[in-house]
Amino acid sequence: MSPTSLRTAAAAGLLALVASVTACGAPAAAPVAPGASASAAPSSPAASDGPAPPASVGTPAASNRVTFVPTRVDLPGGAAAPVEPAVTRDGELAVPENVQHVGWWDGSARAGDPFGNTVIAGHVDSATEGLGFFARLLRVEKGDTITLRGADGHHLAYAVTSVRTIKKDALATGSAAFDQTGDPHLVLITCGGQYRRGAGGYDSNVVVTATPKGLAR
Amino acid sequence: MTARALRRLLTLVVLLGATVGLAGLTAGPSFAAGSADVYVVQGLPGRSVDVAVDGKTVAKGVKTAAVVGPFKVDPGSREVTFSDGGTELLSRSFDVKARSSWDVVVHLPEGGSTDPTVTVFRNDTSSVPRGKAELVVAHTATVPAADIRVNGKVLFSDVANGQSLDLTVPVATYKVAITPTGKKSPVYLGPVSLTVKGGAVNRVYALGDPEKNTMNVAVHVLATGSSGSKRPDKVDTGTGGEAAGAVRFLARLTR
Repeated sequence: MSPTSLRTAAAAGLLALVASVTACGAPAAAPVAPGASASAAPSSPAASDGPAPPASVGTPAASNRVTFVPTRVDLPGGAAAPVEPAVTRDGELAVPENVQHVGWWDGSARAGDPFGNTVIAGHVDSATEGLGFFARLLRVEKGDTITLRGADGHHLAYAVTSVRTIKKDALATGSAAFDQTGDPHLVLITCGGQYRRGAGGYDSNVVVTATPKGLAR
Repeated sequence: MTARALRRLLTLVVLLGATVGLAGLTAGPSFAAGSADVYVVQGLPGRSVDVAVDGKTVAKGVKTAAVVGPFKVDPGSREVTFSDGGTELLSRSFDVKARSSWDVVVHLPEGGSTDPTVTVFRNDTSSVPRGKAELVVAHTATVPAADIRVNGKVLFSDVANGQSLDLTVPVATYKVAITPTGKKSPVYLGPVSLTVKGGAVNRVYALGDPEKNTMNVAVHVLATGSSGSKRPDKVDTGTGGEAAGAVRFLARLTR
């Protein structure tokens, strides 16, 4: 297969002599002939009729990243709202009807993922329910802290790096709001700009971008 | 041989391994009647092994870095035996749960020993977000605890033999390298170019012994299906107009 395969063939031959297996690099005491008495070495894996010792079970390393689906967002000042998964229907992100809840685009990064934006959108207001939770985004400033929380006490804090007003038709094409390949960011989206009754409502989106302060816990 | 030449050879070997390993694309899980899937990853350098499950031979002459399976097994304690040329190398048991998927890896332990060991990893076959891939890197080589660098960044640190780490990543080609914990050299492995497959778990096993120039990778790609909805074209989040006054005021401030 590879040149190294040949080179290690000799080592492999040596290995084949070793019928018993030791755990951590200690040399085998002596080659054990197949079919050797099980009572002579009760723990010998070569004993074909005794039960085989258990295999090691692979474990995640301690440095494995925590990632989580956000279930709550804390804004500066302590206001918090539930976050629900939101799907894209006919090209539009369907945020929760309840204007006090916000929606995490289910195709976006989880909090703590190494690549891609975690996208959360919510109503600024609605004709029937009044001001929405994300009307508070209009008061968010650069440097503010926003925290996402998930199941099992997981959380990740972000520092706001920009607050921008982007024309709605430019959000998907002219901004990186939905990017899933770059460095991880939190992107919070609501509506803003000019309100034109009968002309599709607000003409812009307010987009808050924040970067993670360290790793998710 | 100079260090540079050695590294170049290593890279070549790794690239070869990756190409061969990628052939290990296996179908998604289709568990029949509560059975479980067992795959075998051959992580012993320079030899071919025969594999038996519960005493029945399921594969012969499995080469280094090859992935074979799935072998359907019933739930309960299962025994996997590895042999080479009729000589049993080792036999290990593990508990299999119904409708589960496992990679059984025969590999060298940490340190200089040539006595094989077996580590079993349960495969997470839950669906992966659309356009993304699950990347799992497992340490089954002789080297001490190591860092795993992806595109030059340490994304996994201090990983010991028998441990693995997982990431959800966009579908792309990544340069994966393995270095000692906290150091940039010596490079134990790579950098190897790895194109991950979307809607799948991409399991990469680092195997072999850099001292003997046998570092290699085995890749097991297990299709899982995708979840999550498409990228939106627009976000409409205001129908009231109440916030308009505040919006106008604040928009001026933030401009």
